[in-house]
This record gives sequence, C-alpha cells and structure tokens, in this order.
Amino acid sequence: MVTVIHQRKKCIGCNYCAEIAPDRWRMSKKDGKSTLIGAIEKKEFWIARIPSHELSENLEAAKACPVNIIKVN
Amino acid sequence: MKGKVELMAPAGNFESLMAAIQGGADSVYFGIEQLNMRARATMNFTLEDLPEIARICKENGIKSYITLNTIIYDHDITLMRNIVEEAARSGIDAVIAADHAVMQIAKKNKVAVHISTQANVTNSETVEFYSSFADVMVLSRELSLQQMKNICNTIEKENITGPSGNLVKIEVFAHGALCMAVSGKCYLSLHTTNASANRGACVQNCRRKYKVVDIEDGHELELDNEYIMSPKDLCTLPFIDRLIETGISILKLEGRGRAPEYVKTVTTCYREAIDSYYNGTLNQEKTADWMARMDEVYNRGFWGGYYLGQELGEWTDASGSKATTKKIYIGKGNNYFSKSGIAEFLIEAYGVSKGDRVMVISNKSGVTETVITSMHVNEEGEKDTAVKGDYCAFPLDVPVRTSDKLYKIVESENAAPAVNTINPNAIASW
Repeated sequence: MVTVIHQRKKCIGCNYCAEIAPDRWRMSKKDGKSTLIGAIEKKEFWIARIPSHELSENLEAAKACPVNIIKVN
Repeated sequence: MKGKVELMAPAGNFESLMAAIQGGADSVYFGIEQLNMRARATMNFTLEDLPEIARICKENGIKSYITLNTIIYDHDITLMRNIVEEAARSGIDAVIAADHAVMQIAKKNKVAVHISTQANVTNSETVEFYSSFADVMVLSRELSLQQMKNICNTIEKENITGPSGNLVKIEVFAHGALCMAVSGKCYLSLHTTNASANRGACVQNCRRKYKVVDIEDGHELELDNEYIMSPKDLCTLPFIDRLIETGISILKLEGRGRAPEYVKTVTTCYREAIDSYYNGTLNQEKTADWMARMDEVYNRGFWGGYYLGQELGEWTDASGSKATTKKIYIGKGNNYFSKSGIAEFLIEAYGVSKGDRVMVISNKSGVTETVITSMHVNEEGEKDTAVKGDYCAFPLDVPVRTSDKLYKIVESENAAPAVNTINPNAIASW
C-alpha cells in the first residue's frame, strides 16, 4: 500500500492531477479544488491509502502539481 | 469637464486594505480564494471575509472591487458563481473579469463588471463589444498614451455607453510590476512548473538570471544584463499630467502581493500627485520627493512602461527589490495606554534604540511610522535601548493590539537607488 497526502486547502484548481490520475483525483464542482478520492481528513491534510498499481500515475500527479501539495510515500 | 480620476489601490490582506485607505485611495481591489491572479499568495481573502471588506470600505467611503480574472474551467463555475453572489449580497461595487462566463454571471446577478487587463483591451471596437457588459474597462498595459487618448476620444465621439447608460470609463495601470509578456499572457511558468500565470500561479521565471548558450559549440554568450527578461516597474508619476489628460478615468496601482508599507507609500504619493495636478501645483520638486519616497519601498527600478512608446529593453539588473530601505521584525504589540498615547511592545528579535525609525503594521490601523524619541523599558524607566525579551514603551498616535507587529526601518544593502529611466518628454513612436 502507498500513502497519498493532499493539502487540499492550498489547491488552485489547475486540473493536472485529475487529468493524470483520474481514478484517484476529481475536480470538485463545489469549490473548484481537486479531491483525493477515498481520503480522510486530518488537520487539513487529506490522506488516502492506495494500491501499488496506482503508484506511478500518482507520483506523476504529485510531480505535476504546480503548488507542490501532493505527497506520495 | 470630466471628474477627478479615481485612484485604485491593491489590497492583498486587511493590513494592506487599511494602508490603502490611509494612503487616500478612492477604491481598492482584492482577490478571493483561488480564482484571481494572485492565487499562489497565502494571504488571499476568503469568501467569509467579503462582508467585512465591504463594511470597512463603505465606512471609509471607498469603493471595493473583487478580482475574478483567471481563466475559468468548468469545475470553477460553482465557486465563481458563489463569489459573484456573495459579492452582490455584501455590496461589493464590481467584479473584475476576464472570462466571458464571469461577465455573464455577474450581469445576471446585477453586479457591475470591470473588464480586466487580462482581456487585453487594445482598441475602441473591443471597448464597444464589451460595453454591453461593463461600464469600466482596463486597457492593456502595452498601449501608448496616444493610443489611450484615441480610445477615450472615440468613446466620447461615438457615445459608447455601458449598462448604466453612462459613457464607458477607461482604467489604466499607473504603477507597479510589469510582465515580460502581454499582461499576464505568458506560458513560461506553465512550461517549467505547470504553474499557469493565467491561473494566478506564476512562479516568475522572468525575474531570474539567465545565460545564453550556443548549443553547437557550447559558447556562452556574454550579456550586459543577466536579468534579460525582467522588466523594471512601471511608474507614471513623472508624466502623470499627460496620463490624466488622455481622458482616462481610473488609475490603478499594481501590488496585491506587496507589503502594506508599499501600498501606503505608493498610494500616498499618487494621491498627492493627482491632487496636485487638479489644484495646479504639480512641479518637479514634488515629483522628485515622491520618487525618493517610492525608492524606499520594494521596487525593481522604474520606467515609464510602454506608455511613452520607448523601445523595449528596460530590464532590471537585480532579482529582487532595489528599495533603499528594508524592514526588520522586532516584536509584537502588548498594550496601549490610550490616555497617555503610549504603545508597549514585546521585543522578540534584535532590539530598538532611541532615535530608531520604526513602523507598526496592523490589520486595524494599517501602517504607522514614527521615530522613537523617548522610550521606557520594562519597569526600569527611561532607557536608550531595549533588547530581546524586553517590554518597551514609546509614544504612538494609534492604538496597538496584540496582533500588531513592530518593525525597524533600516537602510538596505542597495546604498544607491535604482537608476530610473523615465523620460517624460519622450514622444510615442508608434
């Protein structure tokens, strides 16, 4: 399992993560920020455990994020 | 005869908002959440701040405008609509828009629209096109004074009116950072870090040093200036009379990302310059004084932008500010004795001495500068110096709160101010 962490509050809604890893990221129509699917919030950090076959596209999403708010461990 | 031009100042946070009011702005503009050209800034206001901003502006008799001028995607529509609706409810005076979706939704909500410089209005036909949506339009920053004048004349001659029924008003940038690309339409930041300037996320690649390398033989080309893409800051003070006489109605100051003391200084200088123009007392001595004051706050050196029609090539020679002074954090507010007008601060870094020039930045009272003439430290009575850990008290005109911060103003390493290249007598060549 891999952990993905998203500082959602800082998202500027560029849409890159949702383009790159559409199974894990979705643009919220409510506030225009991206949402990490299956994540739970801990003090403004959204954390999701993802299967390892999703690793590469989420690493790519983290790399693409212009405000560096996605961490994949 | 047209009325006096409106002076519009930037407000990146409550401190700057108060500083703009202190400086004598007629109006302020600010961003909310991520849909504005300073989306990356951590200090953006939130939707919940809107009623408070509107209240402060109304109380102080100034207008408030909200920037909603990024590229808008489908997933942004709800947030954008919420912002427009909240702006309408709160009594914000207008929305600054570049995307047609924003214009349409603002129109539906009966919120006045200003066309952003991001829409690149460069001719009178475009003014007429947007006039069914907006009463105010910001011209592209790349026009010359003559081109501005022609647009203003055409509006009058052809009676181009906005939704209010009045003639369309033209707004131009008077001061602040310039872009190497046509007003924000730049892809550099997007290509290097996926951070789109058009989504307010510019990482300012243009402000860095570069060298040019010949790929074939590896030779590095020698350049006079390594900051080959970083323009100096726009400054129109030395020719503000000519700018006003083009027929424009609003002068906008750039700088939502800059510090409150910057906002106060620049707004004050332009306020005095505009007032001097209208009472016929504008002169070179005053201009020299304003320029010296503006040299003290963040700047990359000044030039007249594209307004005077000069050739391109006014690049700065430093990565950051050429300001002649800088502020150093000293401590925070602790108490205010209103009867005696004494402010007490807790010193958290460095120290202060009698004779120091200090500045208090507050989200309630903006920016207050003073020179410490007498000082009490702890319970020890009058002293000349206070150090870290001390409680230090000195006279101050405005009340101090615990959220207020005390700074010392010192000369920066830039001993000499930037060489400014503004020739007010230059003739527009295109």
